[in-house]
Amino acid sequence: MKELQELARTLLSSGTVGVVIGWEEGPRGARPAFITDAADSSRLIFDHRCTHNLATYLSPRRPHMARLGKAAIVVKGCDARAVAGLLRETQVKREDVVIIGVRCGGVAADPAGAKPLTAETVAERCPGCTAREPHLADHVVGEAQPEPPGAPTRDARIAELDAMSAPKRWAFWQAEFARCIRCNACREVCPMCFCERCVGDKTEPQWLESSPHPRGNFAWHVTRALHQAGRCVDCGECQRACPADIPLGLLNRKIAGIVADRFDYRATDDPTVPAPIGAFSMSDRQEFIL
Amino acid sequence: MARIGVFVCHCGENIGRTVDCARVAEELGKLPGVAHAIDYKYMCSDPGQALIKQAIAEKKLTGVVVAACSPHMHEKTFRRACGSAGLNPFLCEMANVREHCSWIHEDRDAATDKAVDLARFIVEKVKRNVPLETIRIPVTKRALVIGGGIAGIQAALDLADGGAEVILVEKEPSIGGHMSQLSETFPTLDCSQCILTPRMVEVYQHPNIKLMAYSEVAEVGGYIGNFDVKIRQKARYVDAANCNGCGACQKACIVRKVPSEFDEKLGKRTAIYVPFPQAVPNIPVIDRASCAYFKAKAKGVKKDACGKCKEACSKGAIDYEQADTFVTEKVGAIVVATGYTLYSIGKDQPEGLRGYGEYGYGTIPDVIDGLQFERLASASGPTAGKILRPSDGKEPKRIVFLQCVGSRDPAKGIEYCSKICCMYVAKHTMLYRHKVHDGQATVFYMDIRANGKGYDEFVRRAIEEDGARYVRGRVSRMYRDGETIKVQGFDTLSGEPVVIDADMVVLATAIRPQPGIEQLAQKLSASYDAHGFFNEAHPKLRPVETNTAGVYLAGACQAPRDIPDSVAMASAAAAKILGLFSKAELEREPTVAKVDAALCAGCFHCERVCPYGAITRIEVRDRKGNLVKIVAEVNPGVCQGCGTCQATCPSKSVELQGFTDEQIWSEINALLA
Repeated sequence: MKELQELARTLLSSGTVGVVIGWEEGPRGARPAFITDAADSSRLIFDHRCTHNLATYLSPRRPHMARLGKAAIVVKGCDARAVAGLLRETQVKREDVVIIGVRCGGVAADPAGAKPLTAETVAERCPGCTAREPHLADHVVGEAQPEPPGAPTRDARIAELDAMSAPKRWAFWQAEFARCIRCNACREVCPMCFCERCVGDKTEPQWLESSPHPRGNFAWHVTRALHQAGRCVDCGECQRACPADIPLGLLNRKIAGIVADRFDYRATDDPTVPAPIGAFSMSDRQEFIL
Repeated sequence: MARIGVFVCHCGENIGRTVDCARVAEELGKLPGVAHAIDYKYMCSDPGQALIKQAIAEKKLTGVVVAACSPHMHEKTFRRACGSAGLNPFLCEMANVREHCSWIHEDRDAATDKAVDLARFIVEKVKRNVPLETIRIPVTKRALVIGGGIAGIQAALDLADGGAEVILVEKEPSIGGHMSQLSETFPTLDCSQCILTPRMVEVYQHPNIKLMAYSEVAEVGGYIGNFDVKIRQKARYVDAANCNGCGACQKACIVRKVPSEFDEKLGKRTAIYVPFPQAVPNIPVIDRASCAYFKAKAKGVKKDACGKCKEACSKGAIDYEQADTFVTEKVGAIVVATGYTLYSIGKDQPEGLRGYGEYGYGTIPDVIDGLQFERLASASGPTAGKILRPSDGKEPKRIVFLQCVGSRDPAKGIEYCSKICCMYVAKHTMLYRHKVHDGQATVFYMDIRANGKGYDEFVRRAIEEDGARYVRGRVSRMYRDGETIKVQGFDTLSGEPVVIDADMVVLATAIRPQPGIEQLAQKLSASYDAHGFFNEAHPKLRPVETNTAGVYLAGACQAPRDIPDSVAMASAAAAKILGLFSKAELEREPTVAKVDAALCAGCFHCERVCPYGAITRIEVRDRKGNLVKIVAEVNPGVCQGCGTCQATCPSKSVELQGFTDEQIWSEINALLA
């Protein structure tokens, strides 16, 4: 923690950056912090409650962030993949951001989660995580951390859903989506949702109904998930932000599995690996072409 | 409020027989926004078009729907009519009530209902059409020809004679291609060199042709009328400006036993060489891999090991320090004439192909391929035109020719017919008999494909006058028995297995595209088939064009071709290009993609998926000049209107003009309403 605070202080006081995006102690656990004054660097924390993916604040569609000047951002290994995604899709220039990597031992599903981290409180993406060491970073701080507690559960749930008959699976998702109030929190929090104008807001023609109605809800969630195919970094923020507890992570995870299977692509913090949507390889499977 | 005119065509009986055109006009006339609706016997006829023009003027129409045939047939006709009446042509659309309706239905009432629906949704589309302007692009009246074989030579000469500037790029040290290796040509047995070399010299001397031998196309950018081609001139290590082609360097060269590519490895050449005496340009190149000087240098020998050629050159033209150079040329059109290569009879085969273990994988020295036989028969060849077998230099008295080696054999990887083998094998048997009067040629064939002018007569002549023995069947095995090659096959006409003793065997191996053709096709954004041959835009109607505008095909890069076919294709491609160059500007339909810069987030998925490289990046700046963002822009000259960007764009910020989401949406809504 001291190391992180010192680094932030140096970056700010030297004028290298105008803002350090990190976490601080809030009234309900950890919360994002935007440190612009070197003297405030001591507010920065990093522990198992820092579950947020701060890369969303790098989106060029957040002009209030741009006004703070060049940013340094604290990322966990998984968050670094989002920064790589933004670099890959030319939303951020590498020279315009200082990346501070932190070594992670898993985070809690809830930023207010009490210590210690247990199999019950850990975020569902963390057990079995392979991205705990950030590679895309200018600075890496902290000691190596222990493995997150618990065992992966999501693939078993996906397998359960896959095993269902189509009508049953349809009914499952209809029931989940029925709770959606179309608040768009999943979109706003997502670091990879950076369009100037979301297709969900398009009129003339309006592709997606915007009121909370089963048809529009379904169209929205399917569209959102498909627009994340090969782009989602599995940070779990959409699901965490959802006030209706819709298991969006399952949809993302399912699609990521398909993308990995078909295009041998997995979310990575190496921005030079091309995203499957615009990359063609002779080994791409083409059996769908008759 | 829209004022749409609907014009329903009977197409004589074609539509009128099944569709009640009067009722279609009547129903359409009731639609909101339709100001005029009539039917007529032949809408495309002069009086029919006059009806449209008259209505545009009198009823002040804002859009026109012609319910008639396919837009492929007459969209241009009706758009032109609208244009001449002062209505933007792109405010006119066709509803296809012939191919999509009258021709495929029998029930008159139902067909009429469908015709109403088809016209109705096009009316909804036209309501949302906006005037579009034809795109005009300047044309660079200069052509690039890739490949200096007979096809490339013909294309270059025809273009140059037509007044266009031509850059002819050839990867080998000399132009001439495979034709320069041939001895005589079917079906007239005229000497290949005699008819080709004057054409080569003509290329060299033509004021409109810039010959770039020993060069390759490195990169291709731009689009029809405006290509930027980066060409790599490989280092010859000989200064072309100073060399006078005296040949002293070759006489002085100490490396004399390099297998000659031109002689198909049957002859030898020096390390500094011209491929053949009639080479154009007559400037030698140093083959770095076999040159004693470069080998010594590579081993780190400080003192120059050789340098004999440099000593021998009176013009000081040898330059060991020469490096590859790159030049960028602007051209308006490109002809691909990269030709072919032969199926290898060796063990190593490209992916997807299998060699012939039963023929010894080319390990029997007197089993050769067709081009090697050409070199043996050629007066300029390694044996000075005597048919002598490679192993011991004896004159073979019995030669067996095998057709379809590799071709028409899906199990070996190639299912197509190589087209020229039937003819050149017949030619070989004749050349053989003319040179070895007591020699017996035996040909194993599947069937004889001699479909050209004078071709069948030629094959008959080989059999009837020159004594070639044709055995219908395949050869299953070939092995050496002392000096003899035992050719074991099956005569399918007599139903008997046969074993024929041969002194030499010639395999008519399949024609394959040149290696590296896929990379070239990718540089040109042109498509190719599973075998690597370039795809023509249409097999019948656009045989020398590719789907990439401005890129044309000539010769065997498209499919196996003989000389007459290659020459015809080359002249056709030249004619197409001269047609293109005859206009000051190119006109393009404006149905191309357009980016809404305000909405574009600059993720550039469109750039990555565009098959034509039509997307560029532009900066958006505010009024003070501050960079706001970088967004995509479509180059309308390059865009082919495929719509891939539109489908890929996550925020739908790029749309195909004339086919916007809103237009398609309104069509679908009209149908569902």
